[in-house]
Amino acid sequence: MAQTLTLLGLESSCDDTGAAVVRQAPDAQAEILSNVVIGQDALHASYGGVVPEIAARAHAEKIDIAVEQALAEAGLTLRDIDAVAVTAGPGLIGGVLSGVMCAKGIAAGAGLPLVGVNHLAGHALTPRLTDGLAFPYLMLLVSGGHCQFLRVGGIDNYTRLGGTIDDAPGEAFDKVARLLGLPQPGGPAVEAAARSGDPARFAFPRPMLDRPGCDLSFSGLKTAVLRARDTLAATQGGLFETDRADLCAGFQAAVADVLAEKTRRALAAAGPDLTALAVAGGVAANGILRERLTGVAAAAGVAFNAPPLYLCTDNAAMIAFAGLEAFRAGRRDGMDLPARPRWPLDTASPALVGSGRKGPKA
Amino acid sequence: MLPGVVTLAFDTSGPACCAAILSGETIIADTVEQMARGQAERLFPLLDELLSAAGLAWGDVGRIGVGTGPGNFTGIRISVAAARGLALSLGCPAIGVSTLDALAHGLPQPCLTVVPARRGSIYLQRHRQGEVHAPETLTLDELAAAALPPVPVCGDVANDVAARIGGTVVRPAAPHAVSIARIACARAADTADRPRPLYLRAADAAPASDRPPAILP
Repeated sequence: MAQTLTLLGLESSCDDTGAAVVRQAPDAQAEILSNVVIGQDALHASYGGVVPEIAARAHAEKIDIAVEQALAEAGLTLRDIDAVAVTAGPGLIGGVLSGVMCAKGIAAGAGLPLVGVNHLAGHALTPRLTDGLAFPYLMLLVSGGHCQFLRVGGIDNYTRLGGTIDDAPGEAFDKVARLLGLPQPGGPAVEAAARSGDPARFAFPRPMLDRPGCDLSFSGLKTAVLRARDTLAATQGGLFETDRADLCAGFQAAVADVLAEKTRRALAAAGPDLTALAVAGGVAANGILRERLTGVAAAAGVAFNAPPLYLCTDNAAMIAFAGLEAFRAGRRDGMDLPARPRWPLDTASPALVGSGRKGPKA
Repeated sequence: MLPGVVTLAFDTSGPACCAAILSGETIIADTVEQMARGQAERLFPLLDELLSAAGLAWGDVGRIGVGTGPGNFTGIRISVAAARGLALSLGCPAIGVSTLDALAHGLPQPCLTVVPARRGSIYLQRHRQGEVHAPETLTLDELAAAALPPVPVCGDVANDVAARIGGTVVRPAAPHAVSIARIACARAADTADRPRPLYLRAADAAPASDRPPAILP
C-alpha cells in the first residue's frame, strides 16, 4: 500500500553543502518542503577551482547545520521523517564521507532507515521531482564534473549512450574564465562576456564531431582558447575587452555546437519511445545552450525539460527525492554504507574516464 | 537503569576505531579495533555492538565525546561528522576532545603529549598545572631549539621526543576513548561549541599559477 513519504536528503559531493526535505503523497507530485544550499565559492575563489581538502573541511563543519536549517524551514522534526537519504558518491571523497557519516549519525540516533544515493541519479531523476516526467527519457547531464547522455528507463535503469572522454564542459568554462582573467565560477562569467562578442572571429575546433557516436571531448577546445589568447597577448601586449568577448563567444559557440549535435545523435540512438529530452547540471543554466537544445528537441519531436536553475546545480532536494523513489521501491542501506569516489550509474557500458584497479569514475 | 548520564566516546583519527561508554563516572564498555582503512564503514556497527552488549539503546546516550585529532584528516572528519549527526538526532551535546588532551588525561603534570605528523614532524602540547598551552607543530630537529624541559612524554612518538629532550616515556593513564569520555564529562557543563577537527596544518592548496593576461584599455 503506497503511503506519503517524507525524506531528509544530504548532499556534499563537491563544493555545495546541502540538506533538504521532500515529501510525496501516493500518486502525487513530490513537494520540496525545504532546500538549503550552503555554497563555498568564496573559500575556493583564490585557487581558481575547487580544492578538495578545503571543500572537505567546510562540509564536515556545515552539513549538520544545513540539516538543522532544512528541518526548521520545513517546520518539521526528525520524528516527521521516514528515512535519511545521502549522496554516497561519486564525488570528492572527503566531502562525501562527511555527508555519509553525518547521515549515519542522524539515522542511528533517530532510528531511521538510511538510503545511499548516487549523486548522478539525483540529477537524472530531477525531471520527475519537478514535472513528474515518465520513463523513459534522455538525460544530458552537463556540469563541472560530469558530461554524459543517459537513457533513463527507471530509477535503477540507466544506459549511458556517450559522454566526455576527458574534461567536463563546466571545467572548460572555469578554465577559460581563468585564462581570460574572468571570475569563478566561470560559466556565468564567460556567458556574460560572450554576449557582446563575435562567435565567428576565432575558428575554434568542434572536437569529435567528425567521429560517429555520442562521445565528447573538451580538453582540446580549452587548449585552442589558450593558444588564441597567447597569440593576441604576444602581438598586442594584452587583450582588449573585445578580444575577450570574442574569445568567450567563440568558445561558447563551439561547446554549444558540439553538445547540440551529439544530443541530436543521442536522441536518435535512445529509441523512439522517449517522453522528453531533459538536461541537468550547472552548465544547463547556459542560455545559448538551452536555446540550442530546445531546437534539437523540437526537431526530433520530443519535449524539452530543463529544471529551474537551483535544481540543475548541486542540491539536496534531488538527493532526498532520488532516495524517496528508491525507498518506495524497497531500498535500504546498512550502517556500513561506504562512501564511493567512483560510482558509475551505468555499470554495463565501458568506462570513458577512469579505469584500472579503481574502476570507472562515473 | 544505570546511574548518571551515559557518555559515548569514539575516535578514528589514527589507524583504528576506538570507543568507550561511561555511565556517570563508571566505565561500562571500552574497545579498540586496529584498521588501516574502513573506519567509515566500521564505526557505526561497532558502536551498535558496544551499546547492545551493554544493554543500551541509542536513546539512552546523553552525551557524545569525540576525538578531534590531530591525526589523519579523513579519519578525524569521519568521527566529527558522525558526532555532529548524533548530537542532532539525540538532542544531546557532542564535545570535541583533542588527542593531545586525551593523552595527558590522568598523567602527573608537567608533561608533554605528542602525536606523529606527516613529513617527519610531530604535534606536541605542553601540559602544566595552572597554565594553558596551545598545540604546536615541530620537526624532530626543531625540538632541541624549542628548549623543552625534560619532563615525561606520552604518545606514539614519545621515544624519539624523550631521547631528544632528556625526558622519560610514560604510558597513557587510560584507554584513549575512556580518556575522551572522561574529558567530555568534565567539559560538558561549559562547552556549547560543536566539535571541530583540530587540523594544525593548512589545507594543501596553491593559488592558481596561470596568471591572466593584461586587459588593455
